[in-house]
Amino acid sequence: MITLTGAARLTELMLALALLQQSLEHLRGLRDERILFGARIALCLLVLAGVARPWPLVGMAGLSLLILQRFQGPYNGGSDRMGLLVLWSLALAELMPSRPLQELFFGYLGAQLMLSYFVSGAVKIVNPDWRSGRALSDVFRFSAYPVSEGLRAWAQRPRVLLVMSWAVMAFELAFPLTLLWRPALIAGLVVAATFHLANACLFGLNRFFWTWLCAYPAILWLQGRVLGH
Amino acid sequence: MNNPLRLLAPALIPSWNFFDVIAPSPRVEYALSETATAAPAAWTEFRPRPARVSILTMLTRLFWNPRWNQSLFVTACAERLVDQPTAHSEDEIFRRLAVDLPDDAAGWLAFRLAFVSRQGETIEREVLFQAAPRRLETLR
Repeated sequence: MITLTGAARLTELMLALALLQQSLEHLRGLRDERILFGARIALCLLVLAGVARPWPLVGMAGLSLLILQRFQGPYNGGSDRMGLLVLWSLALAELMPSRPLQELFFGYLGAQLMLSYFVSGAVKIVNPDWRSGRALSDVFRFSAYPVSEGLRAWAQRPRVLLVMSWAVMAFELAFPLTLLWRPALIAGLVVAATFHLANACLFGLNRFFWTWLCAYPAILWLQGRVLGH
Repeated sequence: MNNPLRLLAPALIPSWNFFDVIAPSPRVEYALSETATAAPAAWTEFRPRPARVSILTMLTRLFWNPRWNQSLFVTACAERLVDQPTAHSEDEIFRRLAVDLPDDAAGWLAFRLAFVSRQGETIEREVLFQAAPRRLETLR
Protein backbone atom coordinates (compact mmCIF):
# COMPACT_ATOMS: atom_id res chain seq x y z
CA MET A 1 0.00 0.00 0.00
CA ILE A 2 1.27 3.45 -0.92
CA THR A 3 1.54 5.78 2.09
CA LEU A 4 0.10 9.28 2.22
CA THR A 5 3.59 10.76 2.44
CA GLY A 6 4.85 8.67 -0.47
CA ALA A 7 1.84 9.38 -2.67
CA ALA A 8 1.95 13.11 -1.91
CA ARG A 9 5.67 13.33 -2.70
CA LEU A 10 5.20 11.36 -5.93
CA THR A 11 2.35 13.69 -6.95
CA GLU A 12 4.51 16.68 -6.10
CA LEU A 13 7.38 15.42 -8.27
CA MET A 14 5.11 14.57 -11.21
CA LEU A 15 3.34 17.93 -10.97
CA ALA A 16 6.62 19.84 -10.83
CA LEU A 17 7.80 18.05 -13.98
CA ALA A 18 4.48 18.67 -15.78
CA LEU A 19 4.43 22.37 -14.86
CA LEU A 20 8.12 22.68 -15.75
CA GLN A 21 7.34 21.35 -19.23
CA GLN A 22 4.45 23.81 -19.63
CA SER A 23 6.49 26.71 -18.29
CA LEU A 24 9.36 26.06 -20.70
CA GLU A 25 6.83 26.31 -23.55
CA HIS A 26 5.79 29.76 -22.29
CA LEU A 27 9.38 31.02 -22.49
CA ARG A 28 8.67 31.31 -26.23
CA GLY A 29 5.69 33.56 -25.46
CA LEU A 30 5.25 37.26 -24.81
CA ARG A 31 7.52 39.13 -22.38
CA ASP A 32 5.14 39.28 -19.40
CA GLU A 33 4.53 35.53 -19.78
CA ARG A 34 8.24 34.85 -19.66
CA ILE A 35 8.53 36.62 -16.29
CA LEU A 36 5.63 34.68 -14.73
CA PHE A 37 6.72 31.32 -16.07
CA GLY A 38 10.40 31.96 -15.35
CA ALA A 39 9.38 32.31 -11.69
CA ARG A 40 7.36 29.09 -11.93
CA ILE A 41 10.37 27.24 -13.37
CA ALA A 42 12.43 28.28 -10.34
CA LEU A 43 9.70 27.06 -7.96
CA CYS A 44 9.35 23.76 -9.87
CA LEU A 45 13.08 23.16 -9.48
CA LEU A 46 12.85 23.82 -5.72
CA VAL A 47 9.95 21.34 -5.46
CA LEU A 48 11.93 18.72 -7.38
CA ALA A 49 14.90 19.28 -5.08
CA GLY A 50 12.67 18.95 -2.03
CA VAL A 51 13.95 22.23 -0.61
CA ALA A 52 12.00 24.15 2.09
CA ARG A 53 8.88 21.98 1.74
CA PRO A 54 6.02 22.88 1.42
CA TRP A 55 6.74 26.55 0.67
CA PRO A 56 7.79 26.29 -3.00
CA LEU A 57 4.53 24.42 -3.62
CA VAL A 58 2.57 27.09 -1.72
CA GLY A 59 4.42 29.70 -3.79
CA MET A 60 3.32 27.93 -6.96
CA ALA A 61 -0.28 28.00 -5.74
CA GLY A 62 0.01 31.76 -5.13
CA LEU A 63 1.66 32.28 -8.51
CA SER A 64 -1.17 30.35 -10.18
CA LEU A 65 -3.51 33.20 -9.19
CA LEU A 66 -1.31 35.72 -11.03
CA ILE A 67 -1.25 33.42 -14.07
CA LEU A 68 -5.04 33.08 -13.98
CA GLN A 69 -5.30 36.86 -13.77
CA ARG A 70 -2.87 37.28 -16.68
CA PHE A 71 -4.88 35.05 -19.03
CA GLN A 72 -8.28 35.82 -17.44
CA GLY A 73 -8.78 32.09 -16.96
CA PRO A 74 -6.87 28.94 -17.78
CA TYR A 75 -4.48 29.17 -20.74
CA ASN A 76 -5.44 25.71 -21.97
CA GLY A 77 -8.91 24.97 -20.56
CA GLY A 78 -9.46 21.64 -18.84
CA SER A 79 -5.83 20.57 -18.70
CA ASP A 80 -4.79 23.70 -16.83
CA ARG A 81 -7.78 23.34 -14.52
CA MET A 82 -6.66 19.81 -13.62
CA GLY A 83 -3.16 21.17 -12.99
CA LEU A 84 -4.66 23.76 -10.64
CA LEU A 85 -6.75 21.12 -8.85
CA VAL A 86 -3.68 18.95 -8.27
CA LEU A 87 -1.60 21.93 -7.16
CA TRP A 88 -4.13 23.37 -4.71
CA SER A 89 -5.22 20.00 -3.29
CA LEU A 90 -1.60 19.08 -2.66
CA ALA A 91 -0.60 22.48 -1.27
CA LEU A 92 -3.58 22.58 1.09
CA ALA A 93 -2.94 18.96 2.19
CA GLU A 94 0.66 19.76 2.98
CA LEU A 95 -0.29 22.91 4.89
CA MET A 96 -2.82 21.15 7.11
CA PRO A 97 -1.72 20.66 10.73
CA SER A 98 -3.37 17.28 11.30
CA ARG A 99 -3.35 13.95 9.51
CA PRO A 100 -7.16 13.72 9.00
CA LEU A 101 -7.20 17.12 7.26
CA GLN A 102 -4.22 16.16 5.11
CA GLU A 103 -6.05 12.99 4.10
CA LEU A 104 -9.20 14.97 3.37
CA PHE A 105 -7.54 17.33 0.87
CA PHE A 106 -5.41 14.65 -0.79
CA GLY A 107 -8.38 12.25 -0.92
CA TYR A 108 -10.43 15.02 -2.55
CA LEU A 109 -8.00 14.96 -5.46
CA GLY A 110 -8.38 11.19 -5.85
CA ALA A 111 -12.18 11.48 -5.71
CA GLN A 112 -12.18 14.26 -8.31
CA LEU A 113 -10.07 12.14 -10.65
CA MET A 114 -12.68 9.40 -10.44
CA LEU A 115 -15.44 11.96 -11.10
CA SER A 116 -13.50 13.40 -14.06
CA TYR A 117 -14.08 10.13 -15.89
CA PHE A 118 -17.52 9.23 -14.55
CA VAL A 119 -19.17 12.64 -15.06
CA SER A 120 -17.60 12.99 -18.53
CA GLY A 121 -19.21 9.67 -19.45
CA ALA A 122 -22.55 10.62 -17.90
CA VAL A 123 -22.87 13.93 -19.76
CA LYS A 124 -22.06 12.21 -23.04
CA ILE A 125 -24.45 9.29 -22.75
CA VAL A 126 -27.49 11.52 -22.23
CA ASN A 127 -26.71 13.24 -25.56
CA PRO A 128 -28.24 11.42 -28.61
CA ASP A 129 -25.40 12.74 -30.80
CA TRP A 130 -22.87 10.90 -28.65
CA ARG A 131 -24.93 7.70 -28.62
CA SER A 132 -25.13 7.73 -32.44
CA GLY A 133 -21.43 8.54 -32.94
CA ARG A 134 -22.39 11.87 -34.49
CA ALA A 135 -20.70 14.00 -31.83
CA LEU A 136 -17.32 12.33 -32.32
CA SER A 137 -17.77 12.70 -36.07
CA ASP A 138 -18.32 16.45 -35.50
CA VAL A 139 -15.13 16.64 -33.42
CA PHE A 140 -13.15 15.33 -36.38
CA ARG A 141 -15.18 17.16 -39.02
CA PHE A 142 -15.13 20.78 -37.86
CA SER A 143 -13.81 21.24 -34.31
CA ALA A 144 -10.56 23.13 -33.68
CA TYR A 145 -8.79 20.05 -32.30
CA PRO A 146 -7.59 17.67 -35.06
CA VAL A 147 -3.90 18.42 -35.60
CA SER A 148 -4.03 17.92 -39.39
CA GLU A 149 -6.54 18.20 -42.21
CA GLY A 150 -5.89 14.52 -42.95
CA LEU A 151 -7.42 13.54 -39.61
CA ARG A 152 -10.70 15.19 -40.63
CA ALA A 153 -11.25 12.24 -42.98
CA TRP A 154 -12.05 10.15 -39.90
CA ALA A 155 -15.42 11.92 -39.86
CA GLN A 156 -16.29 9.77 -42.89
CA ARG A 157 -15.97 6.52 -40.88
CA PRO A 158 -19.25 6.45 -38.92
CA ARG A 159 -19.05 2.81 -37.80
CA VAL A 160 -15.55 3.23 -36.37
CA LEU A 161 -16.61 6.44 -34.60
CA LEU A 162 -19.74 4.76 -33.21
CA VAL A 163 -17.62 2.01 -31.68
CA MET A 164 -15.10 4.56 -30.39
CA SER A 165 -17.89 6.69 -28.86
CA TRP A 166 -19.39 3.76 -26.98
CA ALA A 167 -15.96 2.50 -25.89
CA VAL A 168 -15.15 5.92 -24.41
CA MET A 169 -18.56 6.29 -22.70
CA ALA A 170 -18.54 2.72 -21.34
CA PHE A 171 -15.03 3.10 -19.98
CA GLU A 172 -15.76 6.45 -18.36
CA LEU A 173 -18.99 5.26 -16.76
CA ALA A 174 -17.43 1.99 -15.53
CA PHE A 175 -14.33 3.65 -14.11
CA PRO A 176 -15.67 3.92 -10.49
CA LEU A 177 -16.05 0.11 -10.43
CA THR A 178 -12.29 -0.26 -10.83
CA LEU A 179 -11.94 1.15 -7.32
CA LEU A 180 -13.20 -2.14 -5.91
CA TRP A 181 -10.07 -4.12 -6.79
CA ARG A 182 -6.45 -2.90 -6.97
CA PRO A 183 -5.50 -4.74 -10.23
CA ALA A 184 -8.67 -3.40 -11.87
CA LEU A 185 -7.77 0.16 -10.83
CA ILE A 186 -4.26 -0.18 -12.19
CA ALA A 187 -5.62 -1.59 -15.46
CA GLY A 188 -8.20 1.23 -15.57
CA LEU A 189 -5.50 3.85 -15.12
CA VAL A 190 -3.41 2.29 -17.90
CA VAL A 191 -6.43 2.40 -20.24
CA ALA A 192 -7.16 5.99 -19.21
CA ALA A 193 -3.55 7.04 -19.79
CA THR A 194 -3.70 5.43 -23.25
CA PHE A 195 -6.88 7.44 -23.92
CA HIS A 196 -5.11 10.67 -22.91
CA LEU A 197 -2.12 9.69 -25.07
CA ALA A 198 -4.42 9.25 -28.08
CA ASN A 199 -5.97 12.67 -27.41
CA ALA A 200 -2.51 14.19 -27.16
CA CYS A 201 -1.48 12.71 -30.51
CA LEU A 202 -4.69 13.34 -32.46
CA PHE A 203 -5.77 16.64 -30.92
CA GLY A 204 -2.47 18.08 -29.67
CA LEU A 205 -3.66 17.98 -26.05
CA ASN A 206 -0.28 17.13 -24.53
CA ARG A 207 -1.03 19.00 -21.31
CA PHE A 208 -4.02 16.74 -20.60
CA PHE A 209 -1.79 13.68 -20.73
CA TRP A 210 0.72 14.95 -18.18
CA THR A 211 -1.66 16.67 -15.75
CA TRP A 212 -4.10 13.74 -15.50
CA LEU A 213 -1.19 11.39 -14.78
CA CYS A 214 -0.23 13.66 -11.87
CA ALA A 215 -3.48 12.76 -10.07
CA TYR A 216 -2.99 8.98 -10.35
CA PRO A 217 -1.02 8.55 -7.10
CA ALA A 218 -3.90 10.22 -5.23
CA ILE A 219 -6.50 7.73 -6.44
CA LEU A 220 -4.16 4.79 -5.79
CA TRP A 221 -3.64 6.06 -2.23
CA LEU A 222 -7.37 6.77 -1.76
CA GLN A 223 -8.36 3.28 -2.81
CA GLY A 224 -5.89 1.75 -0.36
CA ARG A 225 -7.08 4.08 2.39
CA VAL A 226 -10.77 3.28 1.85
CA LEU A 227 -10.50 -0.45 1.18
CA GLY A 228 -7.54 -1.06 3.46
CA HIS A 229 -5.36 -2.63 0.74
CA MET B 1 -11.18 41.89 -15.28
CA ASN B 2 -12.22 38.87 -13.24
CA ASN B 3 -11.03 38.28 -9.68
CA PRO B 4 -8.42 35.42 -9.75
CA LEU B 5 -10.20 33.57 -6.93
CA ARG B 6 -13.33 33.57 -9.04
CA LEU B 7 -11.29 32.18 -11.93
CA LEU B 8 -9.84 29.51 -9.64
CA ALA B 9 -13.18 28.25 -8.33
CA PRO B 10 -14.14 26.17 -11.43
CA ALA B 11 -10.80 24.37 -11.16
CA LEU B 12 -11.30 23.47 -7.50
CA ILE B 13 -14.96 22.49 -7.96
CA PRO B 14 -14.91 21.14 -11.53
CA SER B 15 -17.92 20.29 -13.67
CA TRP B 16 -16.03 17.70 -15.83
CA ASN B 17 -18.49 18.19 -18.70
CA PHE B 18 -15.90 17.79 -21.45
CA PHE B 19 -17.33 17.62 -24.98
CA ASP B 20 -20.89 17.21 -23.68
CA VAL B 21 -22.02 19.11 -26.79
CA ILE B 22 -19.92 19.91 -29.85
CA ALA B 23 -20.28 23.67 -30.06
CA PRO B 24 -19.65 25.83 -33.14
CA SER B 25 -15.90 26.09 -33.64
CA PRO B 26 -14.13 29.40 -34.29
CA ARG B 27 -11.62 30.11 -37.05
CA VAL B 28 -9.58 33.27 -36.68
CA GLU B 29 -8.95 35.10 -39.93
CA TYR B 30 -6.83 38.23 -40.29
CA ALA B 31 -6.19 40.88 -42.92
CA LEU B 32 -3.74 43.72 -43.42
CA SER B 33 -4.73 46.98 -45.07
CA GLU B 34 -3.00 50.28 -45.75
CA THR B 35 -5.47 52.45 -43.85
CA ALA B 36 -7.87 51.97 -40.96
CA THR B 37 -10.86 52.56 -43.18
CA ALA B 38 -9.85 50.52 -46.24
CA ALA B 39 -11.79 47.29 -46.66
CA PRO B 40 -9.44 44.28 -46.39
CA ALA B 41 -8.63 42.81 -49.81
CA ALA B 42 -8.38 39.24 -48.51
CA TRP B 43 -8.76 37.36 -45.24
CA THR B 44 -6.14 34.77 -44.25
CA GLU B 45 -6.77 31.94 -41.81
CA PHE B 46 -4.55 32.12 -38.72
CA ARG B 47 -2.29 29.06 -38.57
CA PRO B 48 -4.19 26.67 -40.85
CA ARG B 49 -3.61 22.99 -40.13
CA PRO B 50 -1.05 21.05 -42.15
CA ALA B 51 -2.34 18.32 -44.45
CA ARG B 52 -0.49 15.61 -42.51
CA VAL B 53 1.39 15.25 -39.22
CA SER B 54 3.69 12.26 -38.73
CA ILE B 55 3.41 9.95 -35.72
CA LEU B 56 6.93 10.95 -34.72
CA THR B 57 5.92 14.62 -34.68
CA MET B 58 2.80 13.77 -32.64
CA LEU B 59 4.95 11.98 -30.06
CA THR B 60 7.52 14.79 -29.99
CA ARG B 61 4.72 17.25 -29.26
CA LEU B 62 4.02 15.40 -26.01
CA PHE B 63 7.11 17.18 -24.72
CA TRP B 64 7.20 20.38 -26.79
CA ASN B 65 4.02 21.87 -28.20
CA PRO B 66 4.08 25.65 -27.60
CA ARG B 67 2.73 26.74 -30.97
CA TRP B 68 -0.32 24.44 -30.86
CA ASN B 69 -1.08 25.32 -27.24
CA GLN B 70 -0.91 29.00 -28.14
CA SER B 71 -3.32 28.37 -31.02
CA LEU B 72 -5.70 26.67 -28.56
CA PHE B 73 -5.49 29.75 -26.32
CA VAL B 74 -6.36 31.98 -29.29
CA THR B 75 -9.33 29.68 -29.97
CA ALA B 76 -10.40 30.04 -26.32
CA CYS B 77 -10.15 33.85 -26.61
CA ALA B 78 -12.27 33.69 -29.78
CA GLU B 79 -14.96 31.70 -27.93
CA ARG B 80 -14.83 34.14 -25.01
CA LEU B 81 -15.19 37.12 -27.38
CA VAL B 82 -18.51 35.80 -28.63
CA ASP B 83 -19.79 34.50 -25.26
CA GLN B 84 -18.63 37.34 -23.02
CA PRO B 85 -16.78 40.03 -25.00
CA THR B 86 -13.83 41.65 -23.21
CA ALA B 87 -11.00 43.91 -24.32
CA HIS B 88 -8.61 41.30 -22.88
CA SER B 89 -9.65 38.60 -25.36
CA GLU B 90 -9.45 41.00 -28.29
CA ASP B 91 -6.03 42.29 -27.18
CA GLU B 92 -4.69 38.75 -26.78
CA ILE B 93 -5.73 37.75 -30.29
CA PHE B 94 -4.30 40.94 -31.79
CA ARG B 95 -0.96 40.51 -30.01
CA ARG B 96 -0.57 36.89 -31.08
CA LEU B 97 -1.54 37.64 -34.66
CA ALA B 98 0.97 40.49 -34.74
CA VAL B 99 3.95 38.46 -33.54
CA ASP B 100 3.18 35.77 -36.13
CA LEU B 101 3.44 38.20 -39.05
CA PRO B 102 6.75 38.79 -40.88
CA ASP B 103 8.95 41.58 -39.50
CA ASP B 104 8.50 43.67 -42.65
CA ALA B 105 4.67 43.54 -42.50
CA ALA B 106 3.11 46.97 -41.95
CA GLY B 107 -0.23 48.76 -42.02
CA TRP B 108 -3.46 48.09 -40.18
CA LEU B 109 -4.30 44.65 -38.82
CA ALA B 110 -7.88 43.41 -38.49
CA PHE B 111 -9.32 40.05 -37.60
CA ARG B 112 -12.68 38.36 -37.72
CA LEU B 113 -14.11 35.19 -36.19
CA ALA B 114 -15.91 32.72 -38.43
CA PHE B 115 -17.74 30.00 -36.52
CA VAL B 116 -18.11 26.59 -38.16
CA SER B 117 -21.00 24.34 -37.18
CA ARG B 118 -23.13 21.50 -38.52
CA GLN B 119 -26.74 22.29 -39.37
CA GLY B 120 -28.39 19.01 -40.22
CA GLU B 121 -26.09 17.45 -42.80
CA THR B 122 -24.35 20.60 -43.96
CA ILE B 123 -21.39 22.48 -42.53
CA GLU B 124 -21.98 26.21 -42.21
CA ARG B 125 -19.68 29.17 -41.56
CA GLU B 126 -20.89 32.38 -40.00
CA VAL B 127 -18.84 35.47 -39.14
CA LEU B 128 -19.91 36.48 -35.64
CA PHE B 129 -17.28 39.07 -34.78
CA GLN B 130 -15.02 41.51 -36.57
CA ALA B 131 -12.50 43.64 -34.71
CA ALA B 132 -11.79 47.23 -35.63
CA PRO B 133 -8.35 47.51 -37.30
CA ARG B 134 -5.31 48.44 -35.22
CA ARG B 135 -1.98 49.82 -36.43
CA LEU B 136 0.44 46.88 -36.55
CA GLU B 137 3.35 48.87 -35.11
CA THR B 138 1.42 49.46 -31.86
CA LEU B 139 0.93 45.72 -31.34
CA ARG B 140 4.59 44.70 -31.37
